[in-house]
Amino acid sequence: MSAERATGAATEPRQFLDGVSFEEEAALAPERRLRVAVEDVARATKVLLEAGGHFSGLFQPGSDSALRVLVALRGELIVLRAPLDGERSYPSLSRITPAALFPERELHDLSGIVSLDHPQLEPALRPNADELRRVVTGPETFVIPYGPIRSGVFEAIQYPIDTGGEDVLALSVRPYFKRRNLEQRFAGLSFEHGAYLAERIAGVASVAHALAFSQAVERAAGIEPPRVAERWRVVHAELERTANHLDVGIKLAEDAALSVGVSRLGALKEEVMRLRARLCGSRFGRGVVVPGGLGSEPLLSKGEVVRAIDAFERDYLRDRKLLLRTSSFTDRLIGTGALDSETIIRYGGVGPVARACSLGIDARLERPYGSYGRLGFRIARATSGDAMGRFEVRLEEIDQGLHMIRQAVEQTDSESNDFRRELPGADGEACGWAEAPMGEVVYWLALDGQQIREAHIVSPSLRNWPLLSESYRGDVLTDVSFIEHSFGLSPAGADR
Amino acid sequence: MLQWLFRGLRHGIVTSAYPRNPEPAPPGFRGRVLVLDKADAPQRLEDVCPTGAIRVREGRVALDRGRCVLCGACVAAAPERFVFVSDYETAARRRAALVVGDTSATPLEEVMPTLGDRSRTLRRSIHIRHVDAGSDGAEEWEIQALTNPYYDMQRLGLFFTPSPRHADVLLVTGGVTESMREPLLRAFEVMPEPKAVLAVGTDACSGGFSAAAGEVAGGVDQVLPVDVYVPGSPPAPIAILHGLLLAAGVVTREAAAA
Repeated sequence: MSAERATGAATEPRQFLDGVSFEEEAALAPERRLRVAVEDVARATKVLLEAGGHFSGLFQPGSDSALRVLVALRGELIVLRAPLDGERSYPSLSRITPAALFPERELHDLSGIVSLDHPQLEPALRPNADELRRVVTGPETFVIPYGPIRSGVFEAIQYPIDTGGEDVLALSVRPYFKRRNLEQRFAGLSFEHGAYLAERIAGVASVAHALAFSQAVERAAGIEPPRVAERWRVVHAELERTANHLDVGIKLAEDAALSVGVSRLGALKEEVMRLRARLCGSRFGRGVVVPGGLGSEPLLSKGEVVRAIDAFERDYLRDRKLLLRTSSFTDRLIGTGALDSETIIRYGGVGPVARACSLGIDARLERPYGSYGRLGFRIARATSGDAMGRFEVRLEEIDQGLHMIRQAVEQTDSESNDFRRELPGADGEACGWAEAPMGEVVYWLALDGQQIREAHIVSPSLRNWPLLSESYRGDVLTDVSFIEHSFGLSPAGADR
Repeated sequence: MLQWLFRGLRHGIVTSAYPRNPEPAPPGFRGRVLVLDKADAPQRLEDVCPTGAIRVREGRVALDRGRCVLCGACVAAAPERFVFVSDYETAARRRAALVVGDTSATPLEEVMPTLGDRSRTLRRSIHIRHVDAGSDGAEEWEIQALTNPYYDMQRLGLFFTPSPRHADVLLVTGGVTESMREPLLRAFEVMPEPKAVLAVGTDACSGGFSAAAGEVAGGVDQVLPVDVYVPGSPPAPIAILHGLLLAAGVVTREAAAA
């Protein structure tokens, strides 16, 4: 088969889709749109993954009845478009990558499109807490239905655990208990209202979601927000990351029954939340990132932010040092819930979970957005792949985040009051992405003048969740909460 | 371990004295929206709000704080009419009390007696169970924050309990999805009397953004009797504490309906 090309495409035909016929459609770099026939979609995905691609998402927009497969490959985001032309089925992607398991079940529930030979194509979106499926059968094994209501203040999700008493034989993940159907809620909203909704998909990653959404709109409209707005966006995004990573620390310290550690990390997180409230009026940075720039001006001066960051860092470094010297804490993390890099790649894992296996997966560097291309930072990585590695990655990301906040704030021009650019209307589709604390979030938008026609969200939490089942190798029941919390995922974000 | 002890002591007391002393919110904090001018409003003002919290009837504006997600769209569009107030005490015991400036006669809602009224011992020691029925995850952070040294809710005799069978108060977040309806009802049923239910967050009060997407019941009160509504997206820790103390009967001051 020969590789075809759309006339006028600026780039050379790529070798990576060798063997599959495709047509390149116009798209704004680093996005690349390739049209393939629906029977070729699995083969094309396979070729992309074998070339080093990272599977990110699969969905079907209602407006044009064509499948979309998103794959991140060497700094580009490949969007495969496979028109269904009346077909109601396609060759399963789950046979190529387990990352497609949940997206294919979602697709089947929402539009009835069948992924042929999907290993488990049963309804997913409205789980019943009482219907449990045993993974391991044996005379002395049973299933613990852990969730959806669990001890402590946690979001709703269920982990059916197959056990013989102490060893975890298998752990399944059942998300969607809190599915609110919010992707559909975007239809017909204005750009600004869309940003407010995006902030409420995964509340703990409000800034990242608003960023991914707004950048998709901005890319479609062909504008860039003012530089000063991009810098303040970095400040908010990194404060959000810091708060999320500290939250993981609190939960891990609680699991290890380290109460002073819980208090100290809780106090540090509260300081970050209060700084965010003083900076923008919202403890979650809401209302800040809107398409075109900033929705509200920073309420603190440059100097006030830097002083607050300095004070925070002094405290944080002392607690961090002590935490890493406390063996009752670190012993529970070392070797617990270990993953290797092949598994991560196979599952399309992202965020600190992937970076703890020495993978350099980070949207801020792969496809730099906003100010990130102009800031000096490096990817935080660990090599162990276990709960400790994930925690070390988070600690280093806090350091890097504080460093980036200082850089970004230093560069903001205090005279400039231009925080927001007027948005012209936009048509067509575009993707936007941001590195949320749990991994890369991608928004795919179809726009209609001043309105959103359709939105699809590739959630980092949903991408990482299946990996949780893979991370139990000889672990026992008391490790379950350590492993879960070391992942630091958001059920609200996965369920949408 | 000794080092941790010193580390903990070093910082002195950071804990809020709320409710004994008021806890002011930082300037600019988006606590609630105040309607300055309720008269002569154009009908199109309703379209400014993404969650349908603003209603205009014969030129008069009503704002339902139980639907308001504090996005600020109205404050930006009509600053002469709407303004943010930096206030934490936003909870109310009646759903209708959250509607600001409603001129139409509202049916008289029954206010449930506080836990303190129902049992004298339940004023000083209250056990709390939280159930997530479809929140965005932010409410959970703010509820959990109540145990950090800045709020330290244990000082007020408030404790989290793992089992609903030991709980006096059920904190519910989210607009109640179909999958969570049954688990939520079961948790409520096994709680001993007297018990109180708090709807925490705008989603729990009305469904918020998710109300119009058709997957949630549209508020906890569609499923369970609610004692106290704590609006906010998400409500700040002090706002949740205010709601808890309101349910307990320790404080009586409700949100100013202005």
